Amino acid sequence: MTINGWLQILVFFALILLATKPLGTFMARVFNGEHTFLDPVLRPAEHLIYRLTSVDETREMRWTEYGVAMLLFSLVSMMVLYLLQRLQAILPFNPQKLANIEPSLAFNTAASFTTNTNWQSYVPETTMSYLTQMAGLTVQNFLSAAVGIALAIAFIRGIAQREKDTLGNFWVDITRAILWVLLPFCLVGALVLVSQGVVQNLKPYDTATLLDPQGEVKTQTIAQGPVASQEAIKMWGTNGGGFFNANSAHPFENPTPLTNLLEMFAIFAISAGLTHTLGRMTGSPKHGWAVFAAMSLLFFVGVTVAYWAEARGNPLLAGTIQTVNASQSGGNMEGKEVRFGIANSALFAVATTDASCGAVNALHDSFTPLGGMVPLANIMLSEVVFGGVGAGMYGMLIYVVLAVFIAGLMVGRTPEYLGKKIESYDVKMAMLTVLIFPLTILIFSAISSVLPDVGTSQLNNAGPHGLSEMLYAFTSGTGNNGSAFAGISANTYWYNSAIGLAMLLGRFFMIIPMLALAGNLGRKKSVPPSLGTFPVTTPLFATLLVSVIVIVGALTFFPVLSLGPVVEHLLMQAGQTF
Amino acid sequence: MKENAMFDLIYPAATVAFFLLSLAYLRGCEKLQ
Repeated sequence: MTINGWLQILVFFALILLATKPLGTFMARVFNGEHTFLDPVLRPAEHLIYRLTSVDETREMRWTEYGVAMLLFSLVSMMVLYLLQRLQAILPFNPQKLANIEPSLAFNTAASFTTNTNWQSYVPETTMSYLTQMAGLTVQNFLSAAVGIALAIAFIRGIAQREKDTLGNFWVDITRAILWVLLPFCLVGALVLVSQGVVQNLKPYDTATLLDPQGEVKTQTIAQGPVASQEAIKMWGTNGGGFFNANSAHPFENPTPLTNLLEMFAIFAISAGLTHTLGRMTGSPKHGWAVFAAMSLLFFVGVTVAYWAEARGNPLLAGTIQTVNASQSGGNMEGKEVRFGIANSALFAVATTDASCGAVNALHDSFTPLGGMVPLANIMLSEVVFGGVGAGMYGMLIYVVLAVFIAGLMVGRTPEYLGKKIESYDVKMAMLTVLIFPLTILIFSAISSVLPDVGTSQLNNAGPHGLSEMLYAFTSGTGNNGSAFAGISANTYWYNSAIGLAMLLGRFFMIIPMLALAGNLGRKKSVPPSLGTFPVTTPLFATLLVSVIVIVGALTFFPVLSLGPVVEHLLMQAGQTF
Repeated sequence: MKENAMFDLIYPAATVAFFLLSLAYLRGCEKLQ
């Protein structure tokens, strides 16, 4: 590790810290219906949308209606995306004459982009037409991110309000999330990316003549496309699906150190801001900062371990120079871009898996066993370290409820959270949300590991590394992260179907009990704080919250991590690699 | 082509079935209240 590397990590974190309050305040104003500086431009557009879609913006919904609206909206989104892929060969904006997408891949991709996962079992530049990328994938990047933000706001309302049966209006919340939050950030973000060299066009692919022909290969095809517009929402919406297969390691997606920093900033910014939105909307800014502190602690633990493991290099290459010097950046550079180096590759990997983004600028499969375990563990902790836009916040609030419940048990009192008593139904819903996640990951991974024909035969590596590849695929899918560990050929009927189903379960079967919990909290009376109330604004609360997250994650996933990256690390020390 | 036509029925039908199951799950959570 170097001082330079740590300085870059600290600069990144300082930017997030600085942006949290203004972004959080802005989002609180947007979703409280208060005046913002964008209103003169956006209010007329918002009214027009409501008039065209017959939405009554003053009508509020119970949690059940909110949930049904979200489910129907997602179903229609998924079907449209499936159809678009199946018909792309006869639709316009397809200069490369790409064929229709095969059904299992179309299902997987439709599930992937509707659930904000952006798992990609395909090579985008040789599979998806410009129309599919723009009207299908990019549109879903906005919609799925807006759904996540809307749900987080609904949960926060449930905590903040007293004796009220409704959580807001789903259609109003997603409209405002798109118009006020995602579109402005992405418009500016796309222009900045274009200024740095990210391409934005509808041209057919270029063909370049090689200066140094390789046998019969004398030319190279250089893929083009409307990249900047997709890249911006890919990061701001924590979607992560690359326009190109190399994702953010591709120079047309992430050309400079500045774009690398801005892309990482965009991954965390909205989710960090939502902690302040939480504090502001619940009338307890300190609670928002306590949640921010818990997230920050977990972030720094992750980035320290990943950076240390990658900077340390591979002990089996003891004869080679792996330390930083004038001619190389040192450490384990396999699968990493030289222009980003160890620090920015480790930081990007941690940021993208803390949040449910899934964009990558290095190959996680090529990380050292412990370095690769960090992204995997981050997703296994439910991506609550800032997390996906909205999804991170409501995921973290579930853990807050559990932490408060455990604190109540410890002192023998009925637990309270910001004046709401946490009762049996609340804990049942919280546990349903928490349990569906490991159940889906572990069951699908177990089935795949005992199916040699369709499961293990698709792995590039044997032993614990192969298990990590398979485990990562289902963890990434269920966690709606979408990053690939790689090393697994996932474009098969089995993996497309199983990971597609895992993504749907990981999204909607977690959202439904979460909404039920929010609805139940919103209907409760508020009780005044007493001597026995556990304060949720203190370092003790942040520590307890981190402990609950780590203990739940460890209890469910430690055995399988032991069989994967942990044993791989021990065997590497003993001289065996896979 | 014939195989694709079959899967074009299976995957959308499975998707609709999943969302119907989700609605039932939602109803179940409501009933527990």
